[in-house]
Amino acid sequence: MSNTHPNSAQSWLMLLLAGGFEVGYALSVGGSHGFTRLTWSLVAVVFFLLTLYALSVALRTIDVGIGYAVWAGIGAVGAALLGPVFFDETLTPARAVCLGVIVAGLVWLKLADRPQNPQEPVDGPQGVQGAVARS
Amino acid sequence: MHWLHLAIAVIFEITVAIAAGKAEGFTNRRWTIATLLSGAIATYFLSKALLTFDVGVGYALWTSVAGIGITVLGALLFGQRLNWRKALGIAVVIAGVVGLQLSGVA
Repeated sequence: MSNTHPNSAQSWLMLLLAGGFEVGYALSVGGSHGFTRLTWSLVAVVFFLLTLYALSVALRTIDVGIGYAVWAGIGAVGAALLGPVFFDETLTPARAVCLGVIVAGLVWLKLADRPQNPQEPVDGPQGVQGAVARS
Repeated sequence: MHWLHLAIAVIFEITVAIAAGKAEGFTNRRWTIATLLSGAIATYFLSKALLTFDVGVGYALWTSVAGIGITVLGALLFGQRLNWRKALGIAVVIAGVVGLQLSGVA
């Protein structure tokens, strides 16, 4: 474990942080009311940069498909659960089930899109899915 | 109008993924600017959409439809195979979106 290769615990911590930042991003973008409220808007910009940075650092060592799946899952679940806490919103059981289905589908999709999948040779660049992996 | 805003936000979120991939660890200045600019536009239109959608609902719709778009574009433009597992993921997301709509989402 040298300084040039951050250990996986650090990378996973960074990924969880990125997920947390993404929740903050979603909530502050909502709270900005179409970027008409200054404080929420500034917070949204900060979270936008933080989530992009943290994700890019985490994906230097964590598999892109897994990293994206965890990040997107935390973001979507966090936004759904905390939306009603911060705003005048209600999470009905039917809506919670549908959101759960969407998040499950999204996480599955991200995992299925792993470029390292041996059953699935990829020609050339890993494409858009591998995007932030190299960033 | 909120669906149109959401659609624009989705398109620019897909652009973010493409541009970030070409930014080479944000060392390529042009693609890095394209990434940030696309992200800013996507964020702005997401915030417009969230004036109507609840945050949890709008955010989930945005990120999941963009995820589908990224996978489909990867198959169309980047020669990645659209296997049954990806198709299943897409189908599950669509089922959830339709369910949300039926439950009167916005």
